[in-house]
Amino acid sequence: MFHWLEKNPFFFAVGVFLVIAFAGLVEILPNFAEASRPVAGLRPYTVLELAGKEVYKKDNCIACHSQLIRPFKAETDRYGQYSLSGEYAYDRPFLWGSKRTGPDLHRVGNYRTTDWHENHMWEPTSVVPGSIMPAYKHQFTNTADIATAYAEAVTVKNVFHVPYGDDIKAGEKAFDAYKPKILAEAKKVADQMKNKDVKDMVAAGKVPEVVALISYLNSLGRSRYEANKVK
Amino acid sequence: MQSNAALEYDYTIAKLYTYTAILFGFVGMLIGTLIAAQLAFPDLNYLLGEYGTFSRLRPLHTNVVIYGFTVSGIFATFYYSAQRVLKVSMAESKFIMFVGKLQFFLYLIAATAMVITELMGYTQSKEYAQMEWPLDLLIVVIWVLWGVAMFALIGIRREKALYISMWYFIACFLGVAMLYLFNNMAVPTYFTSGGVGSIMHSVSMYSGTNDALVQWWWGHNAVAFVFTVPIVGMIYYFLPKESGQSVYSYKLSLLSFWGLMFVYLWAGSHHLLWSTVPDWMQTMGSIFSVVLILPSWGSAINMLLTMKGEWNQLTENPLIKFMVLASTFYMLSTLEGPIQAIKSVNAIAHFTDWIPGHVHDGVLGWVAFMIMAALFHMAPRMFKREIYSKKLIEAQFWLQTTAVVLYFTSMWIAGITQGMMWRAVDEYGNLMYSFIDTVTVLHPYYAIRALAGVLFVTGFVMFAYNMIKTMTSSRELSEEPQFKSPMA
Amino acid sequence: MDIRELQGYATFFMTIVFVLVLYWYIVYLYRSEKKGEKDYEKLGNIALDDEIDSKPINSSNPISNDKKERNK
Repeated sequence: MFHWLEKNPFFFAVGVFLVIAFAGLVEILPNFAEASRPVAGLRPYTVLELAGKEVYKKDNCIACHSQLIRPFKAETDRYGQYSLSGEYAYDRPFLWGSKRTGPDLHRVGNYRTTDWHENHMWEPTSVVPGSIMPAYKHQFTNTADIATAYAEAVTVKNVFHVPYGDDIKAGEKAFDAYKPKILAEAKKVADQMKNKDVKDMVAAGKVPEVVALISYLNSLGRSRYEANKVK
Repeated sequence: MQSNAALEYDYTIAKLYTYTAILFGFVGMLIGTLIAAQLAFPDLNYLLGEYGTFSRLRPLHTNVVIYGFTVSGIFATFYYSAQRVLKVSMAESKFIMFVGKLQFFLYLIAATAMVITELMGYTQSKEYAQMEWPLDLLIVVIWVLWGVAMFALIGIRREKALYISMWYFIACFLGVAMLYLFNNMAVPTYFTSGGVGSIMHSVSMYSGTNDALVQWWWGHNAVAFVFTVPIVGMIYYFLPKESGQSVYSYKLSLLSFWGLMFVYLWAGSHHLLWSTVPDWMQTMGSIFSVVLILPSWGSAINMLLTMKGEWNQLTENPLIKFMVLASTFYMLSTLEGPIQAIKSVNAIAHFTDWIPGHVHDGVLGWVAFMIMAALFHMAPRMFKREIYSKKLIEAQFWLQTTAVVLYFTSMWIAGITQGMMWRAVDEYGNLMYSFIDTVTVLHPYYAIRALAGVLFVTGFVMFAYNMIKTMTSSRELSEEPQFKSPMA
Repeated sequence: MDIRELQGYATFFMTIVFVLVLYWYIVYLYRSEKKGEKDYEKLGNIALDDEIDSKPINSSNPISNDKKERNK
């Protein structure tokens, strides 16, 4: 009765496929609709924050930093309230990470400031003596790719119905029209910084990577909620 | 074929992948050693400007050792052993030869592009699936070509029964295909936004918790179908062939195969314990991880028992040493994994250095040892020369074994120290340590790990030198050795 | 019945089915060997005797047998 399975490579392959696909079907598919619902009041990332998320991905911060606070007292004491599924609804991809060489960042916006991040990204040991994190000075001179971040916002709005405003729409023209809003947001961050080059770049209409990144890091935590939006 | 008498196995493709396995193995392990040293000595982060930080190099390390070294090793051993267990030569079909060559050519392009784009920072930031969508498409083509070559070879086989190694290679092909496709589903933003921004960028089809589930369904099973399944397939061919002993129990090998297939996929959610995925899935992942010990040990014990009554070969033949130690490390890491998947243990172990420690006793002790032994076994047959130096293999064996032991012991201690310090509280219930305390305390262990890396890479250089010498200047053989590989 | 419940039942029954099939397979393996229909342990020799002109352990393909004859 198992003869055909051992002799016929086609039936064998089908058999293997069924056995391995079973777990995926049961575990993953049915949960999809439920797990992608945002918690009440969660707002999508602004375009500048998305650009910052791109910097976070590009310099691969998840190699050392998690964004997942587990439900233990030691973790909630250290990082704040434990993470909820709905808080990640606008995270594509998820950035939980798998290793904490550095601390968790899921609510870092609640307890760190722009000024702290600026010092830290320039020279980590200046604010955390003994830190083994490398300095990311190149983020102060590299330009963040706000066009791609804008394209991401358009995509998630059109394809996945993320609630962005009507001013986020496809095409170069729409991007050019939207750009001043991004720059205004970047200027608010740069105003709280002291690095001369960064201020010059923002004044010249360019967004340094570090500004976008700090804007993203500041968004992690309370200011992700509509009501607490940083004005 | 005009003349059947001249019919020989054709190792063209196997040789090509052998070269890339050696090259990528060296590069990947060198980067690994560098980033290990960076954790102990942060000044090493500044060797290559923005391209040389730990964070940028870490995915490059994992991708080069997985998709460069391991996958090359899998293809090399496949194109070598599949012909032999099917008793059919690749030279018998021009079509299969063409597919094989095309596959290698595209593979080389994809691997080079992978290194360049990841250094530049194009990444999906999903672990072991960093490559952006154009590369993903290329990889799909490469994988399909492999499937075509595999099933075409099976189609013209003389040996009707499929040997157990072939079962594992087929499973590797199917499993990776399914998981890779689903995990890399993404929408390229350039096309949906009317041509704004970078063409390389894409957003995942899944968000948040769903993305995490799909990612670790993939991440865990990349370990299963790249680091376990094909490697088990390898050892089922190379250990019996090198020792001249047939598999201890063929029936056991069949049973462990089906057991492994069924159980492995369930265990993926053990990477997400205490996270926001539903509780029942976490429990399921935990339970199945423990069940997974059975089929894994089934294979490992079967391998060890194959040597029954022939243990003297362990002292005489260094390749047997490599393979026996590989099965032993396989047993160790398939026991360690389920232990870490128990929820209460995971609460301490997750996010710590114990996890890379666990991964490396698997990949260094099991995967790398097995691939190197297989390539050593293939060399005299492919190049018709004896292995250049037995002494060098012996030295390499001890050097690398020491390296693996140093690696996982230091990371065990580091991981548990870190996990305990994160949760330590004083008599009033306040946290005892600030985060940085838990980092600085790890310095000696990071230094030991870096040393282990240096030792392992040195061993790998010895391996590469031995292989190159075997290819070029070793004594020529008049006929193919039957079992034990000849070495000087 | 909502999807969650359906999922629960499906998992439970399918797991049982797979377990039964696996055990059935074990019985099949040993029984067919006892009856002399199959010799699984012989298949282990495929790895040992793997020259291109050695006789296939398990060959029911007339074409390749034919080739073998001509080969001699």
